[in-house]
Amino acid sequence: MFFRLLQDTLIKLYPLVITLMLACLVIPQAVAIEVITHHQVTDDSLTKSQLRRIYTMRQLYWSDNSAISVFVLPNQDKLHQRFAKERLQIFPYQLNRIWHKLTYSGLGVAPTIVRSEQELIQAVIKTPGAIGYIDDATLSKIEHEQYENVAMVRVVSQETHAIEKEQKGSRKGVVNVVKIKD
Amino acid sequence: MLSKLKTNAAVDVSSRVNNLLSFIGCFARPKTIVIVLAALSGSIAQAKEPNIFSTSQDFQLHGFISQGLIDVNGSDFVNDDGELSAELTEIGLNASYQLTSKFRLAGQVVYLDGGNRYAQGARVDYALIDWSAITTENWQANIYLGRFKNNHWLYSSSRDIPFARPSIILPQSVYFDGFRDIAVGSDGIASKISYSTDDYGNFDWQISYGTSPISDEQTTNILSDYAQGDAEQDYDAQTSLYWQPAFSSWRFGISLLDAGFTYDSAGVSNGDFFFDSDFTFQFYTLNALYEGETWEFSGEVYQQRFTMDGFYHPTFELDNIGQGFYLQSRYKITQQLTLLARYEDFYLDKEDKDGKKLEQSTGGQVPYYFGFHKDVTLGLNYDFTSNFALRAEYHWVRGAGRLTPVVAPNPGINDSEDWQMWAVQLMYWF
Repeated sequence: MFFRLLQDTLIKLYPLVITLMLACLVIPQAVAIEVITHHQVTDDSLTKSQLRRIYTMRQLYWSDNSAISVFVLPNQDKLHQRFAKERLQIFPYQLNRIWHKLTYSGLGVAPTIVRSEQELIQAVIKTPGAIGYIDDATLSKIEHEQYENVAMVRVVSQETHAIEKEQKGSRKGVVNVVKIKD
Repeated sequence: MLSKLKTNAAVDVSSRVNNLLSFIGCFARPKTIVIVLAALSGSIAQAKEPNIFSTSQDFQLHGFISQGLIDVNGSDFVNDDGELSAELTEIGLNASYQLTSKFRLAGQVVYLDGGNRYAQGARVDYALIDWSAITTENWQANIYLGRFKNNHWLYSSSRDIPFARPSIILPQSVYFDGFRDIAVGSDGIASKISYSTDDYGNFDWQISYGTSPISDEQTTNILSDYAQGDAEQDYDAQTSLYWQPAFSSWRFGISLLDAGFTYDSAGVSNGDFFFDSDFTFQFYTLNALYEGETWEFSGEVYQQRFTMDGFYHPTFELDNIGQGFYLQSRYKITQQLTLLARYEDFYLDKEDKDGKKLEQSTGGQVPYYFGFHKDVTLGLNYDFTSNFALRAEYHWVRGAGRLTPVVAPNPGINDSEDWQMWAVQLMYWF
């Protein structure tokens, strides 16, 4: 009886089910956001709490006592908004408040804001101790694009993105992709 | 110009130095805000050289510029004639330079024009050396020497940063503009100890000791034109503790303040109405903050004790306990638009909440409504970009307990119990 009902319902909803299945194929899944660091940073994984402490400027040094340089996109940038909510589990306006308080009251130093994702990648490549974030899709694109200063993108801890490729360029630039643990 | 302002700031050093030059220009001619804005946005637009991030990490330059209109009806909060006023200008520039891994220099200058609210002009907001004494994964301890900002109350460190505070005019019972220069910070020593754990959340403990210089204009604002002598702050000791449970939307805080002042009279022969005196001020607050995705609630409850010895008469004594609170709510309609509603209630003497005793004791010269201050505020904030916003608000105020001059009230201008004000402010920061 129950199965009969289910079958009838499925038949009725058949066009919808098919449409949804097709939609799944067509609409790309929400891309993941990866956390990247300068190639010399030895910490290859961070807990969620550590990542949050780093971005709220409560942890200023890596485990080898080198200073952390934090880079972010502007507050209204979509990727930044997603990074704050998904990776840090904090609302972007809360981050802003913490950083504003540090910057404009003399208490400390806030992250450096860069204009675009590309600038962010460049900053992380060039700045020792740097941490930033990157769209999964962009990470894959790096493989194909000709970044003048990018010689190699080495991805650690992420088998799915184990890209190791030499590209044209005069200087060596490397980023690490950091694994975020619960 | 809007489109130029929307050009987001490149963070390279050269543009920041350009901005610095623009701001130096603006301090020389503080009224020429439009020119400065144009220069500022122009210099940002010019910045196309490659970024040098390692340098920008050690040296950082930030600032803000804001201009508004404010109209007060029924009090001398901003001006004496009650006309629409452009005396709502706030400009600031700060720099931070990392000397070594343990030491950092930081300073900020601000230019303020708020009419009667505080002295017009530029001042050094903070200028300090920051020693990072302890930096581990869970602990941070910093010692600040020099002029530091008051970081003890919910909005004390952001009270003069237009976009970082919740409204154009803050709850005056706590963030009284008449006391701004004294309360905003001190010259002395401060420390901040932070402990962050996965289990219990974040703890921030702060302690500070110092004094604030009191300018002649500030003396006039607080003590009236009839005070010809010198007012001095002898000490200001404060401490506060904040706790945010792990991954919680809530944060709770407590703060304590103890301060002492003296007044050296210029003498009756020099036209000074007042006598040598000592003042003490103690202030205790409890606060809570909730930050949700769309809703936000915050509030502070406080008690103050104010004592006077002398001043009106060599043997005059006063010991008042005042109390108050405010509750504030913000609602984010969209990513850009936020609404604000706030209620504030404060009385200067808990034994005289309706001010009747005040009126009797002064023989009717100071009306009862100088004994309290209540304010209902509605406002909105619109973020055009990540660093350009517009704010507007309306205040319905009952009482004259937070108007200057404090010790010699002016019931001539402030002749009504109820008064209102509205304000709009455009702000840009980088």
